[in-house]
Amino acid sequence: MTGSQNMTVNGVAIDDTFAEAFGMSGTALIITADSQKWANIAATTMTGFGTSVIGCGAECGIDCEVPASETPDGRPGVRVLIFGFSPDAILPQLKNRVGQCVLTSPGSACYNGLESAQRLALSAGPRFFGDGWQMSKRFGGRRFWRVPVMDGEFTIEDTVGVTTDAVGGGNLLILGRDRVGLLETTETAVAAINTLPDVITPFPGGIVRSGSKVGSKYKGAVASTNNAFCPTLRGTTKTELDPDTIAVLEIVIDGLTSKAVSDAMRVGLKAVTDIGAAKGVTRVSAGNYGGKLGQHHYHLKDYVA
Amino acid sequence: MSGLRLRLKSAPVGRLDLSCLQPTVLAAETAANVARMPFEGGSLGDLFEISAIAEVDTLIIAGTTAACDGIGDHLKSGTIVVEGDAGSYAGRFMKGGRLDIRGSAGNYLGSGMKGGLITVGGSVGNFVGAMTPGEKFGMAGGVIRVGGDIGERAGDRMRRGTIVVKGKTGAAAGSRMAGGTIWAEGGFGPAAGTLMRRGTLIGPKAEQMLATFSDCGEHDMVFLRLISRFVAAELGPLAPAALPARVRRYAGDMATIGKGELLLTG
Repeated sequence: MTGSQNMTVNGVAIDDTFAEAFGMSGTALIITADSQKWANIAATTMTGFGTSVIGCGAECGIDCEVPASETPDGRPGVRVLIFGFSPDAILPQLKNRVGQCVLTSPGSACYNGLESAQRLALSAGPRFFGDGWQMSKRFGGRRFWRVPVMDGEFTIEDTVGVTTDAVGGGNLLILGRDRVGLLETTETAVAAINTLPDVITPFPGGIVRSGSKVGSKYKGAVASTNNAFCPTLRGTTKTELDPDTIAVLEIVIDGLTSKAVSDAMRVGLKAVTDIGAAKGVTRVSAGNYGGKLGQHHYHLKDYVA
Repeated sequence: MSGLRLRLKSAPVGRLDLSCLQPTVLAAETAANVARMPFEGGSLGDLFEISAIAEVDTLIIAGTTAACDGIGDHLKSGTIVVEGDAGSYAGRFMKGGRLDIRGSAGNYLGSGMKGGLITVGGSVGNFVGAMTPGEKFGMAGGVIRVGGDIGERAGDRMRRGTIVVKGKTGAAAGSRMAGGTIWAEGGFGPAAGTLMRRGTLIGPKAEQMLATFSDCGEHDMVFLRLISRFVAAELGPLAPAALPARVRRYAGDMATIGKGELLLTG
């Protein structure tokens, strides 16, 4: 074990380390539909296969449900966040995801969900599905497109705000001696993080079980299993694990601002330590690259009350 | 900076061009200085009683008649309140700010307007938000709200923006329209949308609808919610009731490209 541990909260050891995160670009959409159910379906579909920017082109997730009183068209909605390396990298993801997953979803509409001076052409692509029958309407400073489809019209805003101040890769590594209890505790932490605005946890259920390291013994593989955190390899390779650790789960956090990620780190860590060791969690750590790659460092000690 | 109140000392005997009265320009001066400003061969003080008011960047013009033209011409910011009627070309080429006409207004209200808000308590003449001869397009942005009726050819060659009429329109509203929205709570007069290319006409009924408008059936469209909410936000208590969930859509004018629409709410 190499992690420096100098704090224990409610029976859980907190490593004196930090999560190393990267500057990214991010955008937000409001997807509405006739019912919350169908808004959720459209949002879930368009954020699918959006866990890692490396393999998926973008990191996507649902930020929150938006009540009808707060959406542009007065229908139930969902706010989704999309992160990428740059605005230019997000644009094709928007085009494909909105075109294939929101445009196609019954009764849906798609609006800007982030006020920002820098804009992306949200409708560039989906509106041309109208084959010349699409219509533009401008109300105040906002322009919308009405695209005729088989259940009426698909309404989509012309542009969406994008920020280059987003952060990707905030993380918590949660270690335990009971795999089921560890999963339940981590689920609770994800649920707590999901109550915060402007952040997503893009992996399945917000949880990663296959943390990676950079590089591989195999040519062409940019990442491979983080063997130092694999409990079944303890004893055969350099390990970061304690003798009683049998599982490690990671929560990866992307946010539209560094503060949003920081707040999520704090809330996630608190959720874990509030449960404490009762369900088998033994330790919390964080992933970094020695502080040399990512611009944003979130030290766990800063989040321990 | 405080505002000014200009009250006409007597009704003008001929046409009176008031396009030079800009609230943000006049607000920088004292009432005495404004009274000395040259106007129509004399000074503003010859025609108006001028006094300071507390409202910031606001110009109140009182005692006006239908002979007072060009009020709010090229207005960019600030508020003009007209306590009386306005003549022709009120709010022409307006880019921002607000023009409130408590009485009625003449022809070409908001012609070539690009932004801002015009409200008229009474009725308005012909060519609201339209182009004048020789121009390419009419209204290209902003909102006009009329409390009474409007005359013929409203929105002629209109490109963008929204006109809301509590009463009804005269003949050929939306003629040659290229975009934007006219919402007539009292309905449309004859031949609405003549040679309309794009844009939206909304109302409970349309007299003598052109044969070149095609019935597309009844539909609920998300866009109806957007315009209802937008107009409510812009006009507050002056806004019409929200549109119904379903409207009957007529596409036209099929004598042109037919990408405009007449939406009947009745």
